[in-house]
Amino acid sequence: MVGSGYEFTRTLAAPIDLDGTGRYVHWGVVQISVANLVVIALMVLVFVLAVLLPFPRGRKRR
Amino acid sequence: MTRRNRRAATPESSAFPTRPYDLIKEVTIAMVLVAALTAGLAALFSSPDERPVTLGSWSRTASADFTATAVSELDGTSTTAQYGPPYNHTPGAGQKIGPLGLQRLAGVRIPIDTADDFVIQPLRQAPEPPAVTDALAAWSAAPANQQQAWASAYSDALGKAPNGDPAQVAPGGYGPVPVLTSRLLQLAQSGALDGELLTEGGQFYQTDYTRPLLFLGDGTYFANLAQAQHLAGDQWGMMNETGNYPGQAWLWLYTFWYQIEPFKSSGNADALVWALMALLSVALVLVPFIPGIRSIPRWTRVHRLIWRDYYRTQQPPR
Repeated sequence: MVGSGYEFTRTLAAPIDLDGTGRYVHWGVVQISVANLVVIALMVLVFVLAVLLPFPRGRKRR
Repeated sequence: MTRRNRRAATPESSAFPTRPYDLIKEVTIAMVLVAALTAGLAALFSSPDERPVTLGSWSRTASADFTATAVSELDGTSTTAQYGPPYNHTPGAGQKIGPLGLQRLAGVRIPIDTADDFVIQPLRQAPEPPAVTDALAAWSAAPANQQQAWASAYSDALGKAPNGDPAQVAPGGYGPVPVLTSRLLQLAQSGALDGELLTEGGQFYQTDYTRPLLFLGDGTYFANLAQAQHLAGDQWGMMNETGNYPGQAWLWLYTFWYQIEPFKSSGNADALVWALMALLSVALVLVPFIPGIRSIPRWTRVHRLIWRDYYRTQQPPR
């Protein structure tokens, strides 16, 4: 039963495990986690795309 | 051009070009996309899964730290014992902004006597061996200065013992303190102390973790765990999460102040940072009224980039 429970838990577990030791970047007084850096970079990317991508052009009404 | 002329030159709203726009469609697409993204990321990464730290796990993992902390609760030298409001009336304690004592203004709303609430009461509530009954009676019968002397002497002796091990403490005049702390350690290791500190609030639903958390926070074990996970105040901990999960990146400015002087070394850092952030928040709300700051969008011209199709069709200003 223990083995089947273990298998069941493994099946439900997330494919990417982020529970390990956190990775951090140190730059002078600044300490920031790599995960936070990635999220901030993604937010900046979304902002730049939102500004630069053209508005979708639908069919013009007559 | 005068202000009156500029106002007169503004065309009616109906004169502006218009375009059809399906707001409902956009909101629906955005909601579906965000829901799919949320479900997908949750399935891929799950969420932080740290085991809870309890008085039981602490006392089993770091019994010497637990005992030393229990003694500091008895002799009144723990962080909680000297915190001031809202827990006690420690003279001079509490954060201030200039002459304004914010903690003192709020008053003692959660009165805690660390010796009684964290050590003596839990021991009285649990079934006691005769030695513990005698120790409790001796403690209660002694005057406050005698209690203080016993606990301080035992605290010093623990500090000198190898690894702070109570079993290796040199003999001395510690009164009933070793018996009390030894029994408290047994209670904690059995898991009973967690429940007893929860019931001290006298409420039916046990969701008030103030007492066990304060006791836990008075030791070094919990602080060391936080330090190892980059969650301490001097590690930008407010914006971090356990493991490799992203945290609260939007708190960067709040936690930033704790990393620099004069806040870093100030005993009033919490009050000062709170006041500074309140001031900056008011400034943010008042941006449209602050000369210079309110002109930044006009200088950066980001709006012309967003509406570039429109501005491309406009006549260049003469």
